[in-house]
Amino acid sequence: MIQFLQQLINGLSIGSVYALMAVGYSLVYSIMSFSNFAHGGVIMLGAYFGFFALTLLKLPFIPAFILACAGTTLLAILVERIAYKPLRERNAPFLYFIISAMGASILLENIVIATIGPTFRTYPPVIPRTPIQLGALAVGRLDLIMFFISAVCLTGLILFIEKTKMGKAIQAAAYNIKACALMGVNTDKIILIVFGLGGFLAGVAGVFFGMKYTVYPQIGNITTKSFIAAVFGGLGSLPGAVLGSVLLGTIETLVAGYLSSQFRDLIAFVILIGVLIFRPSGIMGKTTVDKA
Amino acid sequence: MADILEISRLTKRFGGLAAVNDVSFSVPEGGIFGLIGPNGAGKTTIFNLITGVYSLTEGDVRFRGKSISGLPPFKIADMGITRTFQNIRLFKNLTVFENVLTACHLGASYSIIDSVLRLPRFRKEEKALFKKAENLLSIMGLTERRDLVANNLPYGMQRRLEIVRALALDPTLLLLDEPAAGMNPDETEQLMRLIVRIRDEFKLSVLVIEHHMDLIMGICEQIVVLNFGIKLAEGCAADISKDPKVIEAYLGATEEV
Amino acid sequence: MDWFYIQGILMLAGINLIAVLGLSLLTGFTGLFSFGHAGFMAIGAYLGAFMTVSPTTSPAGLGLPFAVGVIAGGAGAGIVSYFIGRITLNLKGDYFCIATLGFGEAIRLILNNVQLFGGSRGWPGVPYKSTLPAIIIVDILAVIFLANLVRSRHGRNMIAVREEELAAQIAGINVFKYKMIALVVSAVYAGVAGVFFGHYMTFIQPKMFSMTKSTELTIIVIFGGLGSISGSVLGALLLTALPEILRAFEIWRLVFYGAAVILIMISRPKGLMGGMELTPAGLRKARNERKARILALKESKNGQNGEAGLG
Repeated sequence: MIQFLQQLINGLSIGSVYALMAVGYSLVYSIMSFSNFAHGGVIMLGAYFGFFALTLLKLPFIPAFILACAGTTLLAILVERIAYKPLRERNAPFLYFIISAMGASILLENIVIATIGPTFRTYPPVIPRTPIQLGALAVGRLDLIMFFISAVCLTGLILFIEKTKMGKAIQAAAYNIKACALMGVNTDKIILIVFGLGGFLAGVAGVFFGMKYTVYPQIGNITTKSFIAAVFGGLGSLPGAVLGSVLLGTIETLVAGYLSSQFRDLIAFVILIGVLIFRPSGIMGKTTVDKA
Repeated sequence: MADILEISRLTKRFGGLAAVNDVSFSVPEGGIFGLIGPNGAGKTTIFNLITGVYSLTEGDVRFRGKSISGLPPFKIADMGITRTFQNIRLFKNLTVFENVLTACHLGASYSIIDSVLRLPRFRKEEKALFKKAENLLSIMGLTERRDLVANNLPYGMQRRLEIVRALALDPTLLLLDEPAAGMNPDETEQLMRLIVRIRDEFKLSVLVIEHHMDLIMGICEQIVVLNFGIKLAEGCAADISKDPKVIEAYLGATEEV
Repeated sequence: MDWFYIQGILMLAGINLIAVLGLSLLTGFTGLFSFGHAGFMAIGAYLGAFMTVSPTTSPAGLGLPFAVGVIAGGAGAGIVSYFIGRITLNLKGDYFCIATLGFGEAIRLILNNVQLFGGSRGWPGVPYKSTLPAIIIVDILAVIFLANLVRSRHGRNMIAVREEELAAQIAGINVFKYKMIALVVSAVYAGVAGVFFGHYMTFIQPKMFSMTKSTELTIIVIFGGLGSISGSVLGALLLTALPEILRAFEIWRLVFYGAAVILIMISRPKGLMGGMELTPAGLRKARNERKARILALKESKNGQNGEAGLG
């Protein structure tokens, strides 16, 4: 039982970071209806930004954290401006966006390999490794912080979307972006904000992943997981993305703990395929009807 | 004359909303039948239900006496029902000729092996398909535009090409979804003559959705009026235009617009 | 550069071309995007190796002739794709893409974890059987097969699916069936490419068939131009050779590659050939299309309205 709770806590903390990434994916998908594969690159750079802010600039943790998030926010917007905006302007089909995103992902990963190098780097020990004892449970400090900050970020995001005027505009754009443009909403600004928000959360996720594991150019591949989580929860639905991520993180950790760590990655794809077969709209997604 | 299409108690609900509610009517063979009503009345939904694009919630659609509800669209097309779309759906990057040639495919039966090895059967049937497509283009006056990419056709011609593509399937029932949308009175007039002509020449029955009252009143032998998914009235043009319920529905609609 | 080196590049390009031609049918002509075709290559490579590897080595194979390996690899990939198609081809656009990604990665992860074929450490001892003449012959056959398929009613039906799925259905085309044919043919091509790849490298490992490989194939198809076989041929030759030529820049070549992909998408999205074919018939067709466009333009400029003449 103790072991199970232990695994559950690990799973929740990983799941909450998946959620940070999945939400970024889902936001972009809900507005622009394509899978932003470049998101992984942004997350990877977030991990590097945080790493260098701590080691080269010797900043304390919190300013380094903020700097990393600011960096990824700008980066995500930059990617949008360069790789997607020209496509938006000529109403290109979604496949062009996907390929452009792939290109951006290859570009980001290899710029890092070419300039920083392919080696693995370890974050300096900002958070003590010693776990906190909660009765018989030993909870990692980092896991707790990850879970807490992720929850704060996600709550903030959901409040922003639900309560502010801009948030309402984003919801409207997700419903029908063309109609929004006709109603005089500045859709370009909405897209900018959506990418900015996704980028910010990618920075948080990147730093956490860097701290939890190590930093290396392919770390962005982990977004495949968040992407699966987003599909699991229902592409385009924010609560769905969060739920899917937490579930996926928990299932993965339990599988790794009780079956074999080799099945850890496989289970994500098994879930993906199962969802696509039995419920392509995911847990919370709506089924859409094509207009003839 | 027998009815080619019988629609009985047709109902389609999206979520809780009934887009089409308990609608029944029959299209006589060889007739031109009109379907009118304000925006959102459920006209296009009925087309989607007849052609199998949507699955119906309740009711039945019978074509030549056989139920076709639940069949996939391509089977329904194969049986002889085809349509055009309100927002033109051509094979945009293909030429006018290729659009029609593609739709002629039901006239051939050669296999993939025949085509890959270029066997005699492929050559013979392919020749026949080409001939049929050329023929259709010339009957419909599109031969000169044969090599133009469909996307570059003028709007009116795109509508016409869509009708030609539908005719390439040798249908016995043709559904036209607002064929005169965006046309001026002159063009509408020509379109009316075209519809009557193809009905006679290709021996088919026509079901047409239209907002242009001139067109509907001019060529339709029988008209059904829909409003909010419910059948409001049915009858010949003269009766319909005098029906107070119809006038009210339309006046309401014009105020909105 | 010596002949041996050039020959190596040509062989790799020829092997890539087989897979690219198949993907061209799926993506360029039928309009379905796949990020999992490396998975089919993996199935081909492993099944092919299983047929030809000598029974005395470890992991052991059956020691059969290469031709058996080619047929088994192609057929195996085709059969697997059929079952994958059964469950994914009804999914809409993006979801199909995601599903292929999922299957491609799942195939790789399964191979990684199955120790029978060497697991993640790979499978050495695959015989060197891929010769340049054999590859060229397969390429030529693959092009002829594809070109003849595309220029038939079956090919036209696939193109119709790409252009406008709903209109294709209404035109009596069994959309699911034609998507399936395109998927299975493309998987057979990928499988055969996988067999040749394995018998060229003489060593296979699951990580050779990752999503990056799938993306590379898709990028070549797009670079060549969707719906153009000659474009796919040019694309496969250029894009396989280019990174090799850029070897001097080693670490920067993939940076250029990524930038080039974005650049193509935003500046010349129709790719090199943009749906045109570099054959006498293809050029004639392009010329006719241009003529017709000019004629239409002239007519509409001549003051009469271009929409007249109905009826």
